Amino acid sequence: MTTPLTIDAKDLGDGVGVIELEGEVDVANTPQVREAALRLISGGVKNLVTDLSRVEYMDSSGLGMLVGLLKRLKESDGRLLVAAAQPRVKRLFEITGLEKVLPLYDDASAALKEVGR
Amino acid sequence: MTTAAPANVELRIPRRPEYVRVARMAACALAAQLDFTFDLVKDIELAVGEACTNAVEHVAKEACSEVLLRFSVLEDRLTIEVIDHGQGFDAQRVLNGDAEEGEGGLGLQVIRAVMDELDVQCGQGVGTCVRMVKYRARS
Repeated sequence: MTTPLTIDAKDLGDGVGVIELEGEVDVANTPQVREAALRLISGGVKNLVTDLSRVEYMDSSGLGMLVGLLKRLKESDGRLLVAAAQPRVKRLFEITGLEKVLPLYDDASAALKEVGR
Repeated sequence: MTTAAPANVELRIPRRPEYVRVARMAACALAAQLDFTFDLVKDIELAVGEACTNAVEHVAKEACSEVLLRFSVLEDRLTIEVIDHGQGFDAQRVLNGDAEEGEGGLGLQVIRAVMDELDVQCGQGVGTCVRMVKYRARS
Protein backbone atom coordinates (compact mmCIF):
# COMPACT_ATOMS: atom_id res chain seq x y z
CA MET A 1 0.00 0.00 0.00
CA THR A 2 1.38 3.38 -0.96
CA THR A 3 0.26 6.80 -2.09
CA PRO A 4 -0.41 6.69 -5.85
CA LEU A 5 2.32 8.46 -7.78
CA THR A 6 3.91 7.93 -11.19
CA ILE A 7 7.47 9.20 -11.59
CA ASP A 8 8.93 9.71 -15.05
CA ALA A 9 12.57 10.86 -14.89
CA LYS A 10 14.36 11.77 -18.12
CA ASP A 11 17.88 12.90 -18.86
CA LEU A 12 17.59 15.23 -21.86
CA GLY A 13 21.33 15.60 -22.26
CA ASP A 14 23.56 18.69 -21.90
CA GLY A 15 23.09 18.57 -18.13
CA VAL A 16 19.32 19.03 -18.26
CA GLY A 17 16.79 16.60 -16.77
CA VAL A 18 13.03 16.50 -16.25
CA ILE A 19 10.99 14.71 -13.63
CA GLU A 20 7.28 14.44 -14.40
CA LEU A 21 5.10 13.51 -11.46
CA GLU A 22 1.49 12.34 -11.63
CA GLY A 23 -0.64 11.72 -8.57
CA GLU A 24 -0.08 12.62 -4.92
CA VAL A 25 3.21 13.52 -3.27
CA ASP A 26 3.33 12.87 0.46
CA VAL A 27 5.56 11.44 3.15
CA ALA A 28 5.08 7.89 1.82
CA ASN A 29 6.59 8.49 -1.58
CA THR A 30 8.97 11.45 -1.34
CA PRO A 31 11.91 9.02 -0.90
CA GLN A 32 11.18 7.53 -4.36
CA VAL A 33 11.06 10.97 -5.99
CA ARG A 34 14.30 11.94 -4.25
CA GLU A 35 15.98 8.73 -5.42
CA ALA A 36 14.86 9.28 -9.02
CA ALA A 37 16.19 12.84 -8.94
CA LEU A 38 19.48 11.83 -7.34
CA ARG A 39 20.01 9.21 -10.06
CA LEU A 40 19.67 11.95 -12.68
CA ILE A 41 22.04 14.21 -10.75
CA SER A 42 24.58 11.41 -10.37
CA GLY A 43 24.36 10.92 -14.13
CA GLY A 44 25.37 14.52 -14.78
CA VAL A 45 22.14 16.52 -14.64
CA LYS A 46 22.79 20.01 -13.26
CA ASN A 47 19.54 21.72 -14.18
CA LEU A 48 16.47 19.78 -13.16
CA VAL A 49 12.90 20.67 -14.13
CA THR A 50 10.17 19.23 -11.91
CA ASP A 51 6.88 19.10 -13.80
CA LEU A 52 3.99 19.23 -11.31
CA SER A 53 1.20 19.73 -13.85
CA ARG A 54 -0.45 16.43 -12.87
CA VAL A 55 0.18 16.56 -9.14
CA GLU A 56 -3.17 16.68 -7.35
CA TYR A 57 -1.80 16.81 -3.81
CA MET A 58 1.48 17.78 -2.24
CA ASP A 59 2.35 18.50 1.37
CA SER A 60 5.33 19.91 3.22
CA SER A 61 7.26 16.65 2.95
CA GLY A 62 7.21 17.18 -0.83
CA LEU A 63 8.39 20.75 -0.34
CA GLY A 64 11.16 19.58 1.98
CA MET A 65 12.27 17.06 -0.63
CA LEU A 66 12.42 19.79 -3.30
CA VAL A 67 14.44 22.05 -1.01
CA GLY A 68 16.88 19.19 -0.41
CA LEU A 69 17.28 18.70 -4.16
CA LEU A 70 17.77 22.44 -4.65
CA LYS A 71 20.62 22.42 -2.13
CA ARG A 72 22.20 19.42 -3.80
CA LEU A 73 22.00 21.02 -7.25
CA LYS A 74 23.38 24.32 -6.00
CA GLU A 75 26.50 22.51 -4.79
CA SER A 76 27.35 22.01 -8.47
CA ASP A 77 26.06 25.42 -9.58
CA GLY A 78 22.91 23.76 -10.87
CA ARG A 79 19.28 24.79 -10.61
CA LEU A 80 15.95 23.27 -9.69
CA LEU A 81 13.04 24.68 -11.66
CA VAL A 82 9.48 23.91 -10.59
CA ALA A 83 6.95 23.93 -13.42
CA ALA A 84 3.17 23.99 -13.72
CA ALA A 85 2.26 23.80 -10.05
CA GLN A 86 -1.53 23.67 -9.78
CA PRO A 87 -3.27 26.33 -7.64
CA ARG A 88 -3.44 24.28 -4.44
CA VAL A 89 0.22 23.24 -4.73
CA LYS A 90 1.24 26.78 -5.65
CA ARG A 91 -0.54 28.03 -2.53
CA LEU A 92 1.67 25.71 -0.47
CA PHE A 93 4.76 27.44 -1.86
CA GLU A 94 3.23 30.81 -0.99
CA ILE A 95 2.23 29.82 2.56
CA THR A 96 5.75 28.64 3.33
CA GLY A 97 7.51 31.43 1.44
CA LEU A 98 9.38 28.91 -0.67
CA GLU A 99 8.33 30.56 -3.92
CA LYS A 100 11.12 33.04 -3.12
CA VAL A 101 13.82 30.36 -3.27
CA LEU A 102 12.26 27.93 -5.73
CA PRO A 103 11.32 29.67 -8.97
CA LEU A 104 7.92 28.61 -10.31
CA TYR A 105 7.33 28.43 -14.05
CA ASP A 106 3.97 28.32 -15.83
CA ASP A 107 4.82 25.11 -17.66
CA ALA A 108 7.68 22.74 -18.38
CA SER A 109 8.43 24.41 -21.72
CA ALA A 110 9.03 27.75 -20.01
CA ALA A 111 11.32 26.12 -17.46
CA LEU A 112 13.25 24.24 -20.14
CA LYS A 113 13.63 27.41 -22.17
CA GLU A 114 15.16 29.03 -19.07
CA VAL A 115 17.94 26.44 -19.13
CA GLY A 116 18.52 26.71 -22.86
CA ARG A 117 16.37 23.87 -24.21
CA MET B 1 -32.33 26.48 22.17
CA THR B 2 -30.67 23.11 22.59
CA THR B 3 -27.10 22.42 21.71
CA ALA B 4 -26.41 19.01 20.24
CA ALA B 5 -23.70 16.94 21.88
CA PRO B 6 -20.60 16.59 19.75
CA ALA B 7 -20.44 13.58 17.46
CA ASN B 8 -17.07 11.95 17.86
CA VAL B 9 -15.18 9.87 15.32
CA GLU B 10 -11.90 8.21 16.22
CA LEU B 11 -9.33 6.57 14.00
CA ARG B 12 -6.07 4.87 14.95
CA ILE B 13 -3.43 4.42 12.29
CA PRO B 14 -0.09 2.66 12.46
CA ARG B 15 2.64 5.29 12.79
CA ARG B 16 3.93 4.57 9.30
CA PRO B 17 4.12 6.85 6.21
CA GLU B 18 1.83 4.74 4.05
CA TYR B 19 -1.05 5.19 6.53
CA VAL B 20 -0.98 9.00 6.45
CA ARG B 21 -3.07 8.85 3.27
CA VAL B 22 -5.66 6.72 5.07
CA ALA B 23 -6.02 9.47 7.68
CA ARG B 24 -6.28 12.10 4.92
CA MET B 25 -9.02 10.13 3.15
CA ALA B 26 -10.99 9.75 6.37
CA ALA B 27 -10.73 13.49 7.04
CA CYS B 28 -11.93 14.22 3.48
CA ALA B 29 -14.91 11.91 3.81
CA LEU B 30 -15.99 13.40 7.12
CA ALA B 31 -15.50 17.01 6.03
CA ALA B 32 -17.47 16.41 2.82
CA GLN B 33 -20.26 14.85 4.88
CA LEU B 34 -20.43 18.08 6.89
CA ASP B 35 -21.01 20.18 3.77
CA PHE B 36 -17.69 22.00 3.84
CA THR B 37 -16.92 23.40 0.39
CA PHE B 38 -14.51 21.46 -1.82
CA ASP B 39 -11.70 23.93 -1.07
CA LEU B 40 -12.24 23.64 2.68
CA VAL B 41 -12.36 19.84 2.45
CA LYS B 42 -8.97 19.95 0.73
CA ASP B 43 -7.63 22.33 3.41
CA ILE B 44 -8.75 19.92 6.13
CA GLU B 45 -7.16 17.02 4.25
CA LEU B 46 -3.89 18.94 4.00
CA ALA B 47 -3.92 19.87 7.70
CA VAL B 48 -4.57 16.28 8.79
CA GLY B 49 -1.84 15.06 6.43
CA GLU B 50 0.64 17.54 7.88
CA ALA B 51 -0.19 16.68 11.49
CA CYS B 52 0.12 12.94 10.80
CA THR B 53 3.35 13.47 8.87
CA ASN B 54 4.80 15.27 11.89
CA ALA B 55 3.84 12.32 14.09
CA VAL B 56 5.34 9.83 11.63
CA GLU B 57 8.55 11.69 10.85
CA HIS B 58 9.51 13.47 14.03
CA VAL B 59 8.90 10.85 16.67
CA ALA B 60 11.53 8.26 17.51
CA LYS B 61 10.52 4.92 16.00
CA GLU B 62 10.55 3.08 19.30
CA ALA B 63 8.53 5.78 21.07
CA CYS B 64 5.06 4.77 19.90
CA SER B 65 3.44 2.64 17.25
CA GLU B 66 0.15 4.41 16.62
CA VAL B 67 -1.32 7.80 15.91
CA LEU B 68 -4.79 8.59 17.21
CA LEU B 69 -7.08 10.95 15.32
CA ARG B 70 -10.09 12.28 17.16
CA PHE B 71 -12.68 14.23 15.17
CA SER B 72 -15.38 16.12 17.10
CA VAL B 73 -18.29 17.45 15.09
CA LEU B 74 -20.08 20.36 16.71
CA GLU B 75 -22.82 22.58 15.34
CA ASP B 76 -20.43 25.34 14.44
CA ARG B 77 -17.09 23.61 13.99
CA LEU B 78 -15.04 20.53 13.30
CA THR B 79 -12.29 19.92 15.82
CA ILE B 80 -9.51 17.48 15.00
CA GLU B 81 -6.90 16.19 17.41
CA VAL B 82 -3.89 14.23 16.18
CA ILE B 83 -2.22 12.53 19.12
CA ASP B 84 0.98 10.54 19.40
CA HIS B 85 2.71 9.27 22.48
CA GLY B 86 6.23 10.06 21.38
CA GLN B 87 8.83 12.11 23.16
CA GLY B 88 7.18 15.48 22.39
CA PHE B 89 9.00 18.55 21.07
CA ASP B 90 9.34 22.25 21.71
CA ALA B 91 6.14 23.34 19.97
CA GLN B 92 6.48 27.00 20.87
CA ARG B 93 9.90 27.17 19.24
CA VAL B 94 8.54 25.55 16.07
CA LEU B 95 5.46 27.81 15.99
CA ASN B 96 7.72 30.84 16.43
CA GLY B 97 9.62 29.79 13.32
CA ASP B 98 12.81 28.88 15.20
CA ALA B 99 12.76 25.20 14.28
CA GLU B 100 15.77 23.41 12.88
CA GLU B 101 15.43 21.92 9.41
CA GLY B 102 13.45 18.68 9.53
CA GLU B 103 11.78 19.54 12.81
CA GLY B 104 8.29 19.87 11.32
CA GLY B 105 8.15 23.66 11.18
CA LEU B 106 6.83 23.80 7.63
CA GLY B 107 3.99 21.43 8.46
CA LEU B 108 2.76 23.49 11.40
CA GLN B 109 3.11 26.64 9.30
CA VAL B 110 0.83 25.07 6.69
CA ILE B 111 -1.73 23.93 9.28
CA ARG B 112 -1.84 27.39 10.81
CA ALA B 113 -2.50 28.90 7.37
CA VAL B 114 -5.32 26.57 6.33
CA MET B 115 -7.17 26.00 9.61
CA ASP B 116 -9.00 28.54 11.79
CA GLU B 117 -7.29 27.53 15.03
CA LEU B 118 -4.18 25.55 15.91
CA ASP B 119 -2.92 24.53 19.30
CA VAL B 120 -0.07 22.15 20.06
CA GLN B 121 0.23 20.54 23.46
CA CYS B 122 3.28 18.47 24.16
CA GLY B 123 5.66 17.50 26.84
CA GLN B 124 8.73 15.40 27.34
CA GLY B 125 7.67 11.77 27.51
CA VAL B 126 3.92 12.38 27.25
CA GLY B 127 3.65 12.90 23.52
CA THR B 128 2.05 15.51 21.34
CA CYS B 129 -1.52 16.60 20.63
CA VAL B 130 -2.06 18.81 17.61
CA ARG B 131 -5.52 20.32 17.92
CA MET B 132 -7.05 22.04 14.91
CA VAL B 133 -10.40 23.72 14.38
CA LYS B 134 -12.32 24.57 11.23
CA TYR B 135 -15.53 26.54 11.62
CA ARG B 136 -18.57 25.52 9.63
CA ALA B 137 -20.44 28.10 7.56
CA ARG B 138 -23.21 29.70 9.54
CA SER B 139 -26.63 29.53 7.86
